[in-house]
Amino acid sequence: MLADATPTRQLAGPGPAMEMTGIGKRFPGVLALEDVSVTFEPGKVHALMGENGAGKSTLIKILAGVYQKDLGTIRIGGIETDLRSPSDAIRQGIKVVFQEIALISEFTVAENIFLERYPVNGMGSISWRTIRNDAAALFERVGFKVDPSAKVGDLPVSQQQMVEIARALAREARIVVMDEPTSSLTPNEVALLFGVIRRLTGLGIAVVYVSHKLDEIFEIADTVTVLRDGRHISTKPVGEHTHDSLIQDMIGRRIENLFPRSRGASRGEVVVKVENLSTDSKLKDISFEARAGEVLGFFGLMGAGRTELAKAITGYDPIRTGRISIGGKPLLPHNTSTGVGLGIGLLSEDRKTEGLMLDLPVLQNTSLAALEQFARYAFVDEGREKSAVQSFVDRFRIKTPNLGQQIKNLSGGNQQKVLLARWLMRGLKVIVVDEPTRGIDVGAKSEIFALIDQLAAEGLAVIMMTSEMPELLGLSDRIAVMAEGRITATMSREDATQESILNAAIA
Amino acid sequence: MPQSPSPAAAAGPSGAGALIRSLFRRNEAVLLGCLIVLIVFFSLASDSFLTVRNITNVLGQASLAMVAGIGVGVLVISGEIDVSIGSLAGAVGIPLVVIMNATGSLELGIAAALTLSLLVGAINGYLAAYVGINSLIATLGSMFVIRGAIYLYTGQKAIPDDLALESFYQLGNGRLLGTIPYPALVALVLLVGFIYIMRHRPFGRKLYAVGGNPEVARLAGFNVKRVKFIAFVICSLLAGISGILLSSRLGSAVHVAGLGFEFQVVAAVVLGGVSLAGGIGSLAGVALGVLILYFLANGLGMLNIATEWQLVITGLIIIAAVAFDELKRRRK
Amino acid sequence: MSDLTQPAAAGSLSRRLAANSQIVLLAILVLLCIGISLSAAQFYSVENVIAILRQCALVLIVGAGMTMLLIAGEVDLSVGASLAFSGCVAMDVTNRTGSVALGAVAGILFGGLVGLFNGLVVTRLKVNSLIATIATMMILQGGVFLYTREAVQNKHQQPAFTDISTGYLGPIPLPVILAALVFAAAYIVLRYTTFGRYIYAVGANARAARLSGIQPERLKLIVFVVTGLLAGLTGLILASLMNTGQPTAGRGFELTVIATVILGGTSLLGGRGTLFGTLLGVLVLKVVDNGIIILRWDQNLQMIVPGVVIVLATYLDLVRSRADAR
Repeated sequence: MLADATPTRQLAGPGPAMEMTGIGKRFPGVLALEDVSVTFEPGKVHALMGENGAGKSTLIKILAGVYQKDLGTIRIGGIETDLRSPSDAIRQGIKVVFQEIALISEFTVAENIFLERYPVNGMGSISWRTIRNDAAALFERVGFKVDPSAKVGDLPVSQQQMVEIARALAREARIVVMDEPTSSLTPNEVALLFGVIRRLTGLGIAVVYVSHKLDEIFEIADTVTVLRDGRHISTKPVGEHTHDSLIQDMIGRRIENLFPRSRGASRGEVVVKVENLSTDSKLKDISFEARAGEVLGFFGLMGAGRTELAKAITGYDPIRTGRISIGGKPLLPHNTSTGVGLGIGLLSEDRKTEGLMLDLPVLQNTSLAALEQFARYAFVDEGREKSAVQSFVDRFRIKTPNLGQQIKNLSGGNQQKVLLARWLMRGLKVIVVDEPTRGIDVGAKSEIFALIDQLAAEGLAVIMMTSEMPELLGLSDRIAVMAEGRITATMSREDATQESILNAAIA
Repeated sequence: MPQSPSPAAAAGPSGAGALIRSLFRRNEAVLLGCLIVLIVFFSLASDSFLTVRNITNVLGQASLAMVAGIGVGVLVISGEIDVSIGSLAGAVGIPLVVIMNATGSLELGIAAALTLSLLVGAINGYLAAYVGINSLIATLGSMFVIRGAIYLYTGQKAIPDDLALESFYQLGNGRLLGTIPYPALVALVLLVGFIYIMRHRPFGRKLYAVGGNPEVARLAGFNVKRVKFIAFVICSLLAGISGILLSSRLGSAVHVAGLGFEFQVVAAVVLGGVSLAGGIGSLAGVALGVLILYFLANGLGMLNIATEWQLVITGLIIIAAVAFDELKRRRK
Repeated sequence: MSDLTQPAAAGSLSRRLAANSQIVLLAILVLLCIGISLSAAQFYSVENVIAILRQCALVLIVGAGMTMLLIAGEVDLSVGASLAFSGCVAMDVTNRTGSVALGAVAGILFGGLVGLFNGLVVTRLKVNSLIATIATMMILQGGVFLYTREAVQNKHQQPAFTDISTGYLGPIPLPVILAALVFAAAYIVLRYTTFGRYIYAVGANARAARLSGIQPERLKLIVFVVTGLLAGLTGLILASLMNTGQPTAGRGFELTVIATVILGGTSLLGGRGTLFGTLLGVLVLKVVDNGIIILRWDQNLQMIVPGVVIVLATYLDLVRSRADAR
């Protein structure tokens, strides 16, 4: 049952754990994978890299039995196999830990571990005792500190991710795939994870590691495969790569200046003033200011409270104490209607659930916040609306065949541009962007950065929440670091170093 | 907040111990408390309330909704809904009585009734789980179709039980040892059986998983469609059993039987803590919800409060219960 | 499906497919009319057409409100009970005051109050609208009998009261005129005003709407009240038709209304739907009803057909949106 049990399948012969040859996969209108071949060796950590849309997640889902390949063969332990469903994959010893938390929030940690195969007694009843004991033993062996009887939904995200990883170890596995496993982990937990990975490879398990974080790849991986635009670009031992060579493989061109530095040092007056802000759930006594024309970047680890802060200062979430003023006027009554009226708006980190109206077309999505401008006695002047939206589409270079296109058909980068356009059409004094480039590939990222920089140049105050250090350092004029609901440090860009920022984030 | 009852810290032997322990979990404890308060109040307010006769009467009446409630509860936990159960409960009376009249056999009549239930459940399940039609719409459609079929067949008249079979009468109106109504026993057996399944059988856990996190369930290798399909069949079968008992109590197949029944049952299920979103709730809660509504109605009747007030109060209670639940949920 | 609310953007494939749903419905309507009239010539008689329109009027009035409500992401199952109570209130007040105008206003306002209650329970107490309005339905069904032991008879002998439903404007019955007015008003609001756009936005993604400064609660509250007022109006017309305030009126009405709205292409999930679709839905169902009577089929079929029709319509919609999803 546990990974430490005598692995019967893994050490079967010296051959590769899995060979994927000539894999092709097509979705309506899009060729996701074309002639991709990768071989995963037992006992090695094989990193899979590539931009968003490169095909990594499609490949993983084929591995997991969630998608079916159109072309190509898969050999497991030398035998050609068809992975037609998740249970097929599970039975073949393939365990995938996806990026999205795949746990049943209402169940306990222990029950989640045994979700795919409940231990039953002779009469077919679930043996809760076995579940509880085995789960506790598993956690102890691996070193995670989590209460097996806690309800998963109550745990913080980082612990949920640990449970997910532990789940992967609960059964005999031949291949363990981890998709961005460290996105919610503290550095301590990352170290723990790497320890577990090494243990897995020691047992002869093949580990497939998907991540954007170059430092991690260099630390833990043995081999790196890079995909781009659905094709296999390179597979090399990690030692043969440098930072630049990896990035170059991933994007196929040299990105010199990812971050524009067009602005001078001049800043306008204070447009956002937050004093002693506290909320019931997380934030404690936050105070800061932001000026017109500057980019104030907030950094913090998962759970530090950045999103909570973003939602609080824009009026979306209620606050307990504190004063917020925008352009000198207080944010009262505390709601988004007031906020938008005063000129502060939020671009949420979760586009799908809090930004895009997926069933509506580009036109409606863009003009949503600015409709009043085109209205006469509550009637919308569609001509003016359309031309205004069109000019933004042109200005931002939003790739869409026409304004009536359903927004769900646009790429992540273009969707984000629409959301930015939505706010700009409205006209704001302050824009709060939470994780502006999440789920956007490197090519589009630089466009978004340029847009943000342009906003500041035009006199907006930009408050940016991010967990990506390069983004933070590349765009911000000033940096504020959060941890546990407080601001632990503020510094100007010139004074900031990665170490000082990280130290403040862990404090 | 209503929880799925995985016996966590108290991972002792299953059965009575765990049952009682889970009853004292938060939401069910509150409901039990309400029920007790209700009973105490009415027994003080009226002499005839706390008599064996009355209590067993109420249990007998409540058992019909209880049986259907178990089915609806199971289905809603799996993330779907069925509003055709009222029509179905009314409809099963037809094959029951007709076959019974023709063959003189109660057993054959019951078999025919259950077959109809199975069929309807399969159709609902197929449309909702496999074809992918929203379950509210699909079962709304069935509801119309079944009720229309009833009217069509009966010509809007009741079909009487010609042979006046004693066994038929006893089924819905008889009592064990002269006190415990048979329907209540049926309800009890089904309740215990399904509570066991929901808690201690993998299938029951799959129902929760599929309702609460369908994507995760799929990744874990559960056959979501099949689980939901089975849930629909269970729901319809139980609605059918309820309809058989109803028919026995009415003594005939009545064409307006079951009108509005689905709303009562859904209300009781929601009152009992099952979330319409799926994945949350327990059958123990459903049982308590049903009991609360029926004892409340009975008690108000004892106090000579018009039946209409009962409807009003029931409606208000449902709103209060769900609002309270939402409040607790948002506090988290 | 929401093509008529989208400004004239160039014809993308999805738009053409969406427009199709109404064309299909229109085609079905035309086929039905032709088919029925071939078997029974009196289908096209003036009396029959007017009878059909009368039937449609009642459903359409509430259907207009229900369409907006569904688009906004909510539902109201209490309209049937509400219209019954409103009818009784209208008749009662007319009896007591001798004024039809007062009675009418009272009835309509009562419906509006019910809508307000629903709206507050859903937006303030955060109760799911399905459950909340089922509960309201129970409260009203009980409450109406507390208000009046039996049907409220016409004690006032004011001809104006019955004129509401039996009166004509030219050749067209008054209720049909009212329905047309309500429909036109709702159509204009939904299609051309900011309010209408916000309803779609709130239904499509309430959180995104809120972030953009819209207040979903206020919007939904208004739509609930509107639906309530329209239910009150319908109750008034019905009471006028029966010349009695009937406490048991409207049983099952809410489901008929929802059926026609869904048939017309409005999605239960919110964010999509049109009034024109609802109009077509009402016409189709009522033509079918009428056909069943004219062709002398068993009237109980009138119950079965809507059921089958809804399921088929949704299935087609599903197929279409899967093709849409590319």
